[in-house]
Amino acid sequence: MITEKMRTAAKDLLEKGEVTTVIGWEKGTFWYNSTPVFISKPEEVDRLVFDEFCANNLAKYLMDYRNAEGKTAVFVKGCDARGVNRLVQDYQVNRDKVFLIGIPCSGMKEAPKTAEKQDSSKLPLLKKCQECATPNPVVYDLLLGDPVSERQVPDRFSGVEAIEGKTADEKYAYWQSMHSQCIRCYACRNACPACNCRECCFDANGLNWLGKQNNVQENQMFAMTRAMHVAGRCIECGECERVCPMGLPIMEINRKILKDINELFGPQDAGMSLEDKPALGQFKLDDPEKFM
Amino acid sequence: MTQVVRAETAVSPLVPVVCKIVKIVLETPDVKTFHVSTPDGQKPFTPMPGQLGMLSILNVGEGMFSITTQGPNHLEFSIKKTGVLTDALHEAEVGQTVTVRGPYGNGFPIDFCKGKDVLFIGGGIGLAPVRSLITYAIQNRSDFGKLQVIYGSRSPADLVFKEDLFENWTSVPEMALDLTVDRGDDEWKGNVGFVPAFIEQLAPSPEGDKVCVLCGPPIMIKFCLQSLAKLGFKNENIITTLEMRMKCGVGKCGRCNIGSCFVCLDGPVFTLAQMQNMPPEY
Amino acid sequence: MKTIAKAKINALLDEIAKKSNVLAPVAGDGASKFAPYTQGAPVSLDGRTLLPPKDIFFPQTEKMYKFTNNSLEGSLESSFEATKPQVLFGIRTCDAKSIHCLDHVFLTKGFVDEFYQTKRDNTLIVSIGCNGPAEPTCFCKSMDVNPQEADNVDVHLYDLGSEYGAVAKSEAGEAFLANYAALFGDADVKIPEVAGFPLNPNLEGVTEKLQKMFDHPLWEEVSRKCLGCGACTYLCPTCHCFDVSARVAGDQGFRFRCWDSCMFSEYTRMAGGHNPRPSKKERVRNRFLHKLQYFPERYGELLCTGCGRCVSKCPVNMDITNIIKQVREVEL
Repeated sequence: MITEKMRTAAKDLLEKGEVTTVIGWEKGTFWYNSTPVFISKPEEVDRLVFDEFCANNLAKYLMDYRNAEGKTAVFVKGCDARGVNRLVQDYQVNRDKVFLIGIPCSGMKEAPKTAEKQDSSKLPLLKKCQECATPNPVVYDLLLGDPVSERQVPDRFSGVEAIEGKTADEKYAYWQSMHSQCIRCYACRNACPACNCRECCFDANGLNWLGKQNNVQENQMFAMTRAMHVAGRCIECGECERVCPMGLPIMEINRKILKDINELFGPQDAGMSLEDKPALGQFKLDDPEKFM
Repeated sequence: MTQVVRAETAVSPLVPVVCKIVKIVLETPDVKTFHVSTPDGQKPFTPMPGQLGMLSILNVGEGMFSITTQGPNHLEFSIKKTGVLTDALHEAEVGQTVTVRGPYGNGFPIDFCKGKDVLFIGGGIGLAPVRSLITYAIQNRSDFGKLQVIYGSRSPADLVFKEDLFENWTSVPEMALDLTVDRGDDEWKGNVGFVPAFIEQLAPSPEGDKVCVLCGPPIMIKFCLQSLAKLGFKNENIITTLEMRMKCGVGKCGRCNIGSCFVCLDGPVFTLAQMQNMPPEY
Repeated sequence: MKTIAKAKINALLDEIAKKSNVLAPVAGDGASKFAPYTQGAPVSLDGRTLLPPKDIFFPQTEKMYKFTNNSLEGSLESSFEATKPQVLFGIRTCDAKSIHCLDHVFLTKGFVDEFYQTKRDNTLIVSIGCNGPAEPTCFCKSMDVNPQEADNVDVHLYDLGSEYGAVAKSEAGEAFLANYAALFGDADVKIPEVAGFPLNPNLEGVTEKLQKMFDHPLWEEVSRKCLGCGACTYLCPTCHCFDVSARVAGDQGFRFRCWDSCMFSEYTRMAGGHNPRPSKKERVRNRFLHKLQYFPERYGELLCTGCGRCVSKCPVNMDITNIIKQVREVEL
């Protein structure tokens, strides 16, 4: 249903020349893989699909089309739409060069263990979707389908509080064990819409912010620095945690920072609208000054 | 499965030898030549012309450089100030500890060049690798035919190896020196113009199976190759050195590949005929 | 053939562990990998590990030498240590083939890498064959790997259901089986038929075709969705690119080598700024050409063993089997 509407919308935009590229999803290796696709010809729109495996956040690809001729259309779920806002607010993408096609999303599913086709309704939701509070896109130029009802999500910071409840030694052991598994593939950084620096500080070898050894100290330096660099701008799309090949609990660190920001500066959500500035990108006279 | 045939090596290829800078020559505002010997005054190894050495200041980093020439007890590296390691080298003084490992690379095809006339073409710092073959040819003069050096740089101040260009090489039998600069100055009496145009002006003949060895900035090489083609030089006789970022120097870390060749092991010296079979990714 | 019940594997590992270090797929929290085995530790020998065994021979970080340098006086001291004899137990045939490829890289053509050599020469390898795909993404059969056989190991185990059949593939392997003969029985065995694989790329003519496809627009298309992370290269059993760097504190430090990825943007960037592979397209093209064209041209083998780790774990489902299919379909 949505798939049909996607194809019609894309065909229309391409035939009329309103956009030069449409970014969406198509089927991948198996029936449970849906993968990003870049359509520039109306006759290719039948590649587009929308199903419960379209987990990839497509917003990040707009960075590759910043200087493209003409406009770029992109299909956005709830999380992806916040990702677009993130990029626009960070001055990385020009809102006028982007045509957003919103798709209300009931959540994406985990891949099964075998290749045989099965009933996907039995598959569990991805962790990031179980925790999602914004299934409907907050910004769009065209909306396909009706808004979905918002999910009953667990308390946003219950995972953080569980870790905070550990003793200092337990916390230390927990994070040591986690970061000894990190392979520093940088998948988390590359998938994240908030990580959009032209040159990441960890790629600038000459400056030596971080060595190239793989050990717990350096892995933690990377993890914590990245969390601080996206602090206040993280849109909680959960892509970082989803793409990590080692299954590290990256969102718990991001949520810990969100919890602190909420306590210090009041409740906020990044990327919900272009008018709200990122938490650490603004200053109010009544901001706490305990450290002064 | 294909056969794995182990190589023979005595020394770990990644661990260097400690040396010192024993002399520094200021060639141009941004190029210095470093003379390097072991602490007891020996050469760390004896390279063939065109081979490379991995030079390092221990706490700064390693970099692969062509060995521009050698003496009985030292190696010479001519290095342009370009990045972190080269900045540190340019700050260094005589006596600075450095490490060297090598020799790496295939070197120039000396046997192929013997008995023939050789035309050397250099642009800017590109003369550095070519110089290793020029000094070899001068030391073994009777093994080679007529020699000609066509060399150009941005300005007279940027000409490297001035002692060779204006003193040592002027008295070599049957060796022509043709210099040019992109921009002259008040004292410059020589040719003014880019190297490719200068080559066409001089019109060296390819007769007698003449070999041409050239090195310089990629854009200069591109136009020189066009000029050499017009003059009728054969692709197998045009020899150049390529450059890629290198780390291990022994064809294992994968970084310097151009197609299935490693610049550090199968190169850096390639003929134009070989390059035409390699993907143009350098 | 010699046989051993799967239920007795822990007993076997315990015996081996009395005399040498054992590396096996130890079950536990986190991603599956080859880790030091301790007495009685649970091992998971079904399926393949997420992390390949390449880090046993080629660690992610490896110290090479220590140095002191205060400009006028400098010295260095090699950190090379000969590896103590150890046993690597339970690698799959895709991983066994990958070790053969790494042998080509580190032991041949001009120089032997002594850090790799000492580990390779002092590790006894016991492999296990597969009777079908361990994961849906396995396609070893298409990449010149026999899922059930490995020849470049010391002992190879066939999966016979409730037991393994063991065959020595080298002198060291024969000594190994003789050493632990008490735990093995003897039986006539029937090696099962190999099951079908869902992924079956056809590699015929691909290397030759790729030699003509360097400038083909296919690379622009397939590289668009790539994120440029290093997940594929780090999980790949044959990827071996490394960097050489140093850890410095004041006058002292050490130089090490560490894994690097050709997918990273600054991989080929030279001092002065020139980068022969400035965009994703060149880097993605280089990776696939290396696996399917350059390595076969240089060493006569494909550099992909069909383990499928990259296909399962790539965040955007970059699929080498799909790219092979597209290459075959291209009309030149």
